[in-house]
Amino acid sequence: MRATGTGLPAVVELTAKTGAHQPEDPFNRYVLPEVEVLLRVAHTLTSRPADAEDLVQDTLLRAYQAIDRFDGAHPRAWLLTILRNTHINRNRRRRPELLDDQDAAFERLASTETDADSPEGLVVGSAFDAVVSDALDALPDRYRQIVTLVDIDGLSYAEAAETLGVPEGTVMSRLHRARGRMRHRLVAAGLAPRRKL
Amino acid sequence: MSAKPRKMWGTKEMASCMQVMRVVQSYLDGQTDQVTARRVANHLDACRRCGLEASTYREIKAALARQAAPLDEESLERLRAFGSSLSQQTARGEAESGSGDTSPPA
Repeated sequence: MRATGTGLPAVVELTAKTGAHQPEDPFNRYVLPEVEVLLRVAHTLTSRPADAEDLVQDTLLRAYQAIDRFDGAHPRAWLLTILRNTHINRNRRRRPELLDDQDAAFERLASTETDADSPEGLVVGSAFDAVVSDALDALPDRYRQIVTLVDIDGLSYAEAAETLGVPEGTVMSRLHRARGRMRHRLVAAGLAPRRKL
Repeated sequence: MSAKPRKMWGTKEMASCMQVMRVVQSYLDGQTDQVTARRVANHLDACRRCGLEASTYREIKAALARQAAPLDEESLERLRAFGSSLSQQTARGEAESGSGDTSPPA
């Protein structure tokens, strides 16, 4: 289901409901300002832009249905939780084997720190960015997602934790390890100083 | 005779390298309390090894921020229009029915 600009999805026609939306509509107040963040996060969670848009649209619909039960506290965290649950449900419905495979893959991932033995020196510029980009791509999914949510999408630890359904401590530890691996790559490439003991 | 420096993280002004490395990324992300932030900052100013490592992490964060791809504006506009249409649907429903309850789709 997608909003194509040519007309509302049929499901919208089913959603006329009553509630205390006026004079200040909480959906306008709490949800609409977060659409851009939701789309960024959806891009991080999904592999295709079209899937990201569909995911946000489903999230908006679910938020609309639940807005009367929302107390107004931490709207972004509330919406990110809806986004996560919607994402999980969509994957289960479409590709029931996917989540199991991902979970199993996560468990198999071992810590494989890169050996770092190269000349010291800090060099900034395109080479640095290129190595960072490669290092990000080389990270296991669970690490890459956290780094992307925090460093690219701009979420706080709490918001990233809501998005992925993990404790904040897990966000911190994965970030720490992920950036550590990226730093090791930079050190190996001679683009960052090696820490001497 | 000066007092012997205390070793606890919570009472010592200058933290150890190990203590700082444990929290440096949270510090760079602005996720530490002010007391911790001050102690980490003091340490990074005084310790070259930790300072260089923190600089590398800062550069990594900056490089990642530069990777943020611009969002598809058309996609964003479609979603905003969809969200607005939901609110308008509510307003119309209230105006027409005044009361009564239509359950949302499952």
